[in-house]
Amino acid sequence: MPGCVPLLLCLIGLVPIACTPKNKETRMDHPLPAGIDTARTEPGRRGGVFIDSTPGEPSTFNPLVSEDATSSGFIGLFLDSLVRNNAVTQEVEPGLATRWDIAPDNKTFTFHLRPGVLWSDGHPFSADDVVFTFQAIYDSRYPNRAAFDLSVDGKKFTIEKIDDLTVRLTTPEIYAPFLETVGGVGLLPKHELESAFRDGSLLKAWNVSVAQKEPHRLLATGAFRLRSYQPAERIVFEANPHYWRADAQGVRLPYVDYLVTKLVKDANASTLAFATGQTDAEGLSPDNVAWIDRYASRYGFSVFNRGPSPNTGFIWFNQNPGHDSSGKPFVPPHKLAWFTDRRFRQAISHGIDRDGLVRGVLFGRGQPLWGPETPANKKWYNPNVTQYPYNPARSRALLAEAGFTIGSDQKLRDRAGNVVEFTLNTNQENQLRANMATAFKENMRDLGITVNLSFLDFGTLVGKIQDSYDYEAGMLGLTGGGDPAGGISVFSSKGRLHQWYPNQKTPATPWEARIDQLMSDQLHTLDYPTRKKYFDEVQKIMSDETPYIYLVTANAYVGLKDRWKNIRIPPLGSLVWNLDELWTPLLTP
Amino acid sequence: MAADLLRTLLRRPAGLISATLLCLLYGMALFAPFLSPTIPSAQNLQRTYHPPTALVWQKGHLCVQLYKLIDPSTASYQALPGQATPLSWFSRGTPYKLFGLIPGDRHLFTVSTPDPVYLLGSDATGRDVFTRLLYGAGISLSIGLIGVALTSFLGLTIGGLAGYLGGWTDTLAMRLTEFLMAVPGLYLLLALRAALSSRFPSDATFLLIVVILSALGWAGTARVVRGLVLSLRERPFILASNILGQRPWTILFRHLLPNTFSYLIVAATLSVPGYILGEAALSFLGLGIQEPASSWGLMLGQAQDIKIFMLNFWWLLTPGVAIILTVIAFNLLGDALRDAVDPRFRLPGK
Repeated sequence: MPGCVPLLLCLIGLVPIACTPKNKETRMDHPLPAGIDTARTEPGRRGGVFIDSTPGEPSTFNPLVSEDATSSGFIGLFLDSLVRNNAVTQEVEPGLATRWDIAPDNKTFTFHLRPGVLWSDGHPFSADDVVFTFQAIYDSRYPNRAAFDLSVDGKKFTIEKIDDLTVRLTTPEIYAPFLETVGGVGLLPKHELESAFRDGSLLKAWNVSVAQKEPHRLLATGAFRLRSYQPAERIVFEANPHYWRADAQGVRLPYVDYLVTKLVKDANASTLAFATGQTDAEGLSPDNVAWIDRYASRYGFSVFNRGPSPNTGFIWFNQNPGHDSSGKPFVPPHKLAWFTDRRFRQAISHGIDRDGLVRGVLFGRGQPLWGPETPANKKWYNPNVTQYPYNPARSRALLAEAGFTIGSDQKLRDRAGNVVEFTLNTNQENQLRANMATAFKENMRDLGITVNLSFLDFGTLVGKIQDSYDYEAGMLGLTGGGDPAGGISVFSSKGRLHQWYPNQKTPATPWEARIDQLMSDQLHTLDYPTRKKYFDEVQKIMSDETPYIYLVTANAYVGLKDRWKNIRIPPLGSLVWNLDELWTPLLTP
Repeated sequence: MAADLLRTLLRRPAGLISATLLCLLYGMALFAPFLSPTIPSAQNLQRTYHPPTALVWQKGHLCVQLYKLIDPSTASYQALPGQATPLSWFSRGTPYKLFGLIPGDRHLFTVSTPDPVYLLGSDATGRDVFTRLLYGAGISLSIGLIGVALTSFLGLTIGGLAGYLGGWTDTLAMRLTEFLMAVPGLYLLLALRAALSSRFPSDATFLLIVVILSALGWAGTARVVRGLVLSLRERPFILASNILGQRPWTILFRHLLPNTFSYLIVAATLSVPGYILGEAALSFLGLGIQEPASSWGLMLGQAQDIKIFMLNFWWLLTPGVAIILTVIAFNLLGDALRDAVDPRFRLPGK
């Protein structure tokens, strides 16, 4: 058997990779714009092809339509924004705006655009493009996700053009994550899309069929522009000849000529492509790191530990006191009484062997999680939340305090004599999660609690959680990270993702009311320390009350070929933060 | 007749070997709670992906070699030389219910120390693969028997009626079988499972799978039985009973169907592997038996992770070996049965 593995790898390696464009083209060198941004990294050499792979397929290249991470990732390569969110430092940096002024009322932002920037077709970029983009986003004919993000309490921002290189944005209320949100809005070319905007077909523009037939119509301000897209095969981006960044020696970025993304069937195939040296970068799950490391020297790559991932995993109980249309309660009343008792939830939390989960399920590559943010979110993570280390004795004490007793049959009963038993629902696609669910079941057996496991497909599970509410407990994960504003739908009692009891009209408990207040307060100030203080308290309350019983967070890993220089790997988000600054002394043959 | 059949069968080496193997497998499935050192859900997060423990002879006892986890990030274990713990035989352990009825707590072998005995290694949460294999055998093997019993019954009744009554009964039954046989099996299986599953508790999935597999399997049997009945109907002894004035039902059940039994026995034996593989395929795709119950297909499905191959956790593939052995044994037994039942069918070279 050990002999089989290299053989298998060799066979896969023999499959030719026809990714490198055959005819070597010389890159056009246009004069640099007046407002060039100079990279502070070590100057490198131009050339090379950067290859990665992604499971799945982009569904669109239109930022107004895109709702999935794959599509948004590709759009981010060719469309830049006014500002950039530096994923490494979590700070806002100049993008297509070189600087911005914030008026004393903290609601008016004046952006000064970078002079001399051209779209990839040579047309000048100006304030008209910014105004056009916001017009398109707010147009009621084009419902899109950005319109929700770019509004406060349902009220839109106002935008006005001061001159060709200055725009002013005004928010109706103070809106804390304003710059971060604006940083996520890719600006659209007015001269290219205005006709589609006028005749109502803007959502059909820049779809996958346009990307296949006329890739150059997808105009770019970013480091790359689309060169070709072959569904189920690959997407090729090439260097944007009008990109607005250069290195210290005046060489226009990006250094790499082409960026090739192989479209593969699933995550296993993507991982295998990297492990056999076919791709340059890959996000790795903790359980795969061990064996991939063995091929590091053969294929010349290294595996980097990004530290804790922003992904949280948790168990929660349905605390929804409502009932369905036939009058049947979502949760039987005696079970609802357990679930809404904080001591019960804390006892469960103390009964989970998180260190065991990390060691056994995650191969030691992770850490216990106690609150809604993981340490990956350096800017907002609160390390001082209440922890629930593995302590079955403490669990039993808490359960006894809450009136539960253990009978001679080793089964836990409540005051009324009901045997404590519940069904935990989770999605069947995630093997690590399934392992955690079985481990949880065993941990609970030690406390005398019977847990039944129900593995559903993701869609059915979401239906239960968000529509029919007919379940007792759930196990899922959320991707945290980023600004607290992104978590409003989870923390706020009105939120749709407030899973233990969503869409409340008025907060069911005092602590939920307090969280609502804090989440609203932090949104309406621009002062970071104040916001941090508020959000720290939210995290503390979440850990004290444990509506979510947090489990573990896995470390995130990135594998990268050693030939690339200037690499900066962010703790969260894309694999490589500075694709435009990457260069290699070894060109692809 | 049955004794004769058995004697002829056991005289053939293939028949003898496969019958013994199957008896052994079913025996192990029946006595799984007693034969296994623990229960299938008992896990040990300190010992995930543990390799099979070696057995050594030490100080006059059969002992289990002890291991140390040397690198949790690759789940590599190292044997501790000279350190072993004796197996204790017929000792008390986790309580169980034999055949779901008789309570007991004696296990064939256990170890007294906290160190576990993993005859076939451990899985992702440190559960004993040997124990899960034995308990899984109960589900995987009984699905074959129950399924075949159901389809044989369905096939015999529908096929027999169609062949004997003829007319619109025949047309209706045969068009139905043609429909069932025309639809690709696996897709129909998946479609049925999806249609029936949404709100089934996991305990009921076992029954559900048997019903689904049987609902798809009876068509072939029914067609052959119909053919047999059609030809038998014209035989002199049936004509004789007709003339004697026996009622149609008596003729069907007393004379016609018993004459198809020899075919049915062979066909049933040969189709058992189909059910075992069907359950395995469903569970492999995550649509069959669900955690924490265990079945061979489910265990294989959990082993399809790429790291299992890359880190060489070969012991997680043992359910595959068990499935192969069972399928081969049933096929050999079926062949031998066919030879024993009807010497004219014997394949050349045997």
